[in-house]
Amino acid sequence: MKTPNPIDLAPASAPEDEMYYLNMGPQHPSMHGVLRLLLKLHGEEIITAEPVIGYAHRAHEKMAENRSYIMFLPNTSRVDYLSGMIYNLAYCEAMEKILDIEVPERAQYIRTIANELNRISSHLLWFGTFLLDLGGVTPFLYCFDDREEILEVLDRVTGSRLTYSYGRFGGVTMDVDDAFLDGARAVLKRIRERIPMYLSLVHDNVIFRERCDGVGVMTGDLLRKYGITGPPLRAAGVAYDVRRAEPYGIYDRFDFEIPTRTAGDCMARFEVRVDEMEQSCRIVEQAIEGLPEGPIMPGRMKKRFKPPKGEFYFAVESARGHFGMYIVSDGTDNPSRIKLRTPSFSNLSSMPEVLRGTFVADTIAIVGSIDVVLPEIDR
Amino acid sequence: MAYLGRILHGFKTLLTGLRITGRESMRKPVTLTYPHVEPKLTGAYRSAIKLIRFEEMDSHDCVACLACEQICPSFCIKIDGGKIEGIKKKRATLFEMDFALCSLCGLCIDVCPTDTLEYSRLYDEAGYDRDWNMDLLEEFRDFEPTFIEQQREREEKEAAAKAAKKAAAAKAKAEADAKKAAEAEKAGGDAPKSGDAPKSGEAPKSGDAPKSGEGSAS
Repeated sequence: MKTPNPIDLAPASAPEDEMYYLNMGPQHPSMHGVLRLLLKLHGEEIITAEPVIGYAHRAHEKMAENRSYIMFLPNTSRVDYLSGMIYNLAYCEAMEKILDIEVPERAQYIRTIANELNRISSHLLWFGTFLLDLGGVTPFLYCFDDREEILEVLDRVTGSRLTYSYGRFGGVTMDVDDAFLDGARAVLKRIRERIPMYLSLVHDNVIFRERCDGVGVMTGDLLRKYGITGPPLRAAGVAYDVRRAEPYGIYDRFDFEIPTRTAGDCMARFEVRVDEMEQSCRIVEQAIEGLPEGPIMPGRMKKRFKPPKGEFYFAVESARGHFGMYIVSDGTDNPSRIKLRTPSFSNLSSMPEVLRGTFVADTIAIVGSIDVVLPEIDR
Repeated sequence: MAYLGRILHGFKTLLTGLRITGRESMRKPVTLTYPHVEPKLTGAYRSAIKLIRFEEMDSHDCVACLACEQICPSFCIKIDGGKIEGIKKKRATLFEMDFALCSLCGLCIDVCPTDTLEYSRLYDEAGYDRDWNMDLLEEFRDFEPTFIEQQREREEKEAAAKAAKKAAAAKAKAEADAKKAAEAEKAGGDAPKSGDAPKSGEAPKSGDAPKSGEGSAS
C-alpha cells in the first residue's frame, strides 16, 4: 500500500520559487537544546522538515573504548542529563548482569527510589518547558520550584544535582538516611498535591487545548517504522514499558500501572506523562515502605572488571523511552564497543514524517511533546 | 451558540488560571540570592577531593599506590612518592589534582585503600588559569619531617611490640609443642601401628609424621 504523501497537501500549483527555508534552531529560543530543524515552507505549511543533529556530539561511545569499564561510569549521566540517574544505574545494572554480581537488597530499593524521583524531575522539567514553548510562562516557574525539591532530596544522598555518578558495580556509593526518606516522602506529598493544580491550570485551558488536541498525531505504522518508544508510544495506545515488559532491578515487586491514551496527539502525550508522574510516586512510596536494612555494596569496590567475551544487551525505561546498552566485550578490562540506543534519537527521527503538512507554529508543540534531549541524541 | 459557549469556557479557564496565579503569588519567594546568601550544603556535597587528616598520625595516609590516578576517568590526578628513607611506610611526595578536568564522580574516593580521600566543601572556588592544579599536600608539607620522625618512633614501637608478641607466641608454641610431643610419646604404642600399615600412595606422608614427632621430642 502506498502511504499518502502529505507533501501532496501543498498546493500542486505552488512553484519551487514560492518555497522558502527556515532554520529553526540551533539558537531558536523554543527549540530544544541545540536541535536544528531545516524547514521547507510554503507559507505557514511545512513541506519538508529535516532535523540536523550533531551539535552536542561528545563521542561518549568512543570514549568508552579507550578506558576501563568503571571509568565509563561518569559518562553515562551525561548522555541524558535530565534523567542521569536512570542512565547511570542502567549501566551499573548492565555490568552487574554481565559480571554476575549480586546487588544487595537495600541498594536495589535505593536505586528504585532514586530512579523514580529522577523520572518525576525529568517529567516536571518537560512539563514546564513544554508549556513555556506553548506560551505559558507561569507553570514553568511552579514546575521548577517542585523540581528543585526533588533535586535537593537527591542532592542529599548523591551530592550532585544532575550528573549523579551515584551507582557503582554492585550497589550505590552512599547510603540513604532518615532525612532523605523524610525528604522523599515530603516531595511525594507535595507533587501529589501539585499535579491537580497543574492540571486545573492548563489542562482545560482553551489555548492549550487548541494547540494540542489532534496536533502531531503519531499512530500505527509510523511508531513501528521508527521504533518510537516511551510516552509517545503509550499515548498511541501501546502499553509498552520496559519496566513491565522485561522487568529489571526489582520493578516486578511493585504495583503500578502503565498509563496509556489512544489519540496519539500532543494532548495524549501530555496526559500520559502527567499520569506517569503519579505512577512514579506510587513506586517510590512502595519502595520507601519496603526499604530493608543491610549493606549497599557487596564489598569494597574493585578496581578492575573483566567480563567474559561476548555481546550483551540491556534495556531500561528512561524518562523518554526504551534505553538500551549494547556492550561488546573482548575479554579485556576495556570495552570493545558500547553502543547506546537512545529513545530520543528514534523519536526525533520520525519528525520529518510527522511534521510534513503541519504548520510552523505546531512544530514547537510537536517537537516539544516528544521530549527530546539533544545530548542524548548526539551523545 | 457553540461559539458563545466557547468564549465563556475560555473566560472560565482564564479565571481559573488567574486564581491559581493569585494564590501562588502570596507564597514566600523561594529564590536563593546566591552571592548574598550562603548556600546550604548537604552532607553528601561533592567538591574537589582532599586528603583526610587522621588524628592518630596527625597527617594524611596516602601511600602513593596510584589507585586513584589509574581509575580517574578524567585523568586529573598526579601522584608521586613511594619508599621514604627511615620508615617502612610509603608516602606520597606529590599529590596534584587538576580541578578543571575533574568530573566529581568519586571513583577515587571509593577506590582508595587507606580511605584517606574525601570531598571538600569548597563551593566558591574559581580557577584563574587553564590548568587548575590543586596541591593537596600543601597543608601537610610543613609537618612532613615531624611526621616521618613520629612515624619512625611508631614503627619502632610497633616492631618492638611485634617482636615481644612474636617471642611470646614462639614461647607459647614451644610449650604447646612440648606438651604435644609428651602426649604423643604417651600414646606412642598406637602411633607406629598406623605407620606400619600404610597404603602405598600415602606412605611418605604418614611415614614422615612420626619422624618429625621424634625429632622435636629429642
